[in-house]
Amino acid sequence: MVSNSNVTAQRSSAPHDGIVVESLTKRFDSFVAVDHIGLEVQSGEVFGFLGPNGAGKSTTVSMLTTLVQPSEGVAWVGGYDIARQPGKVRQIAGVALQEIGLDPLLKAMELLTIHGRLFGLSRGAAKSRAEELIHLVDLQDALDRPVGKYSGGMRRRLDLAMSLVHQPRILFLDEPTTGLDPASRRVIWAEIRRLNREQGMTIFLTTQYLEEADALAARVAIIDAGKIVVEGTPEKLKSEIGGESINVSFHNDETTGRAEQALQAAAHSLAIQKIQVDQRTLRLYLKGAASAVPAVVSHMENAGLRPQSLTVSKPTLDDVFLRYTGHRYENEATTSYNGASYEDASQGAVP
Amino acid sequence: MKPPETTDNRMALPSTGWLTQVGIMAWRAIVVNFRTPGAIIPSLIISAFFLFVYQAQLGGVAERFLPEGHSYLGFILPLSVVSAALGGSSIAGQTIVTDISTGYFDKLALTPVSRIALLLGPMISNATVIGLQVLIMMTIGLAMGLKPATGILGLLPVIAFGVFLGVGFSGLTVGIALMTGSPGATGGAGFMFFPLTFLTTTFVPMEQLTGWMRIAATINPITYVLGAMRSLLNDGWAVAPMLEGIVASVVLFCGCFLFALWGLRVRNRRA
Repeated sequence: MVSNSNVTAQRSSAPHDGIVVESLTKRFDSFVAVDHIGLEVQSGEVFGFLGPNGAGKSTTVSMLTTLVQPSEGVAWVGGYDIARQPGKVRQIAGVALQEIGLDPLLKAMELLTIHGRLFGLSRGAAKSRAEELIHLVDLQDALDRPVGKYSGGMRRRLDLAMSLVHQPRILFLDEPTTGLDPASRRVIWAEIRRLNREQGMTIFLTTQYLEEADALAARVAIIDAGKIVVEGTPEKLKSEIGGESINVSFHNDETTGRAEQALQAAAHSLAIQKIQVDQRTLRLYLKGAASAVPAVVSHMENAGLRPQSLTVSKPTLDDVFLRYTGHRYENEATTSYNGASYEDASQGAVP
Repeated sequence: MKPPETTDNRMALPSTGWLTQVGIMAWRAIVVNFRTPGAIIPSLIISAFFLFVYQAQLGGVAERFLPEGHSYLGFILPLSVVSAALGGSSIAGQTIVTDISTGYFDKLALTPVSRIALLLGPMISNATVIGLQVLIMMTIGLAMGLKPATGILGLLPVIAFGVFLGVGFSGLTVGIALMTGSPGATGGAGFMFFPLTFLTTTFVPMEQLTGWMRIAATINPITYVLGAMRSLLNDGWAVAPMLEGIVASVVLFCGCFLFALWGLRVRNRRA
């Protein structure tokens, strides 16, 4: 996991050049996609907007980038009112939407040049900028092909390049790594860090990957069912969970229930701060979790309980999500991604 | 929370002029349209086919109702021009509906480009395609023995009528594309052209029509565009039919373009 606190800490000189959102709401007939959300993103900050599919992330981005009109509320992007100054917002914002928007019949250079020209670059400047971006996203070997013949990763990289063509002050990235293989994902992550570090670009990043927000964002907001449930730095949010946890899994619900009762009864003596039930897993939050494992195991043995597995983990944004929404962050992509790297790095199995 | 103040320290980006934006959008649509010849060629083939068929089947009997000195080819060729123009007018709508489905329309909408330029670009490209198609139809007509009463120069206003008519109707397909976002519905707009093409002086002059067909032809603006083109090919430079044709074309163009703008408004409001 990459620490993100040093990415943006030094850039807060012009806070009002960031994003301010007040009571922003979007209704589609009777369905409320985004429900009176409020947030503030400082200039030069990488802000993670985290939530499962359908939570309201993309709708929020669509409103902030002037693509969709809010039903209620106000927002300023780079100091410009999204409803009253949409043209100004478009000039300073770069946007890579979740759905990649490329004309499959055009070639990369053509797309980038057209985009540059629409943002006011001269013909020569647009061509130079296009060449620069082609190299940046490593597409120089695919220039003679229409983008319809690109792979998903190549299309995503080109889409990102298009969002950078006018050197935006604020970059909106709506799930920029969804569907990408790990190698392509790393390329995008590196580019996001570079843009923020070298150009001080404010980045509003929506993601359904908990690790992505944890790795890139200085602050995150978690949105669920159209409402922001919590906001803060990943460290602060995780620390509020209460330090490390012992995760004990059982074979069935009945044993899980009995174990919960037994451990609740001994919570004081075992110094357990909180017990959270997550399907057939009990998460026991306590300080010095690793050293407390023998006492917990002993207590369960005395109660006639045989756990299926037991691990010790540091709190993750998944735990934060569980705490504030009352349900797990269900996402197939996240699960597989956790399995591939994140849990390996942060969680140790107890023999 | 009070509104934030803007402290933009970077140099402001130069804005692109409106005409330049239209030019960029038109160039892009032309590139895309000519990379998909499958969308262009069918209406050309159909128009040429009907020209051959009509000329072969009706050319012989046409002498009964056409004034002396008028050729049936000069009478029927404008119908093929109208057919090519209307058939080709769905290209702009198809370009926009494809952009909507690929997400490129939203990508363009995220730039400072004028919304009207987004519409005009494909329509101007459509004009280029229709112009080319009409030119080919005229060349075929000349090859079949057409001798325009106004000479070769008289073909230019005929081509202009075809292009203007086609571009006007492309506004209709653009409006439907924007409102529905559906390739099927946009393609289906072509069916609306049938009544316009056939409820008019399709095969015979107005004097030969009777009853409801005559009423329909009288209120159909295409009748006057056809009349202007036929007059140029068979009569010579006549002011009255030319003016009628121009007025009918302008009315059609404005009506269809307003429909396209309404489509854009509907799409924006829905968002």
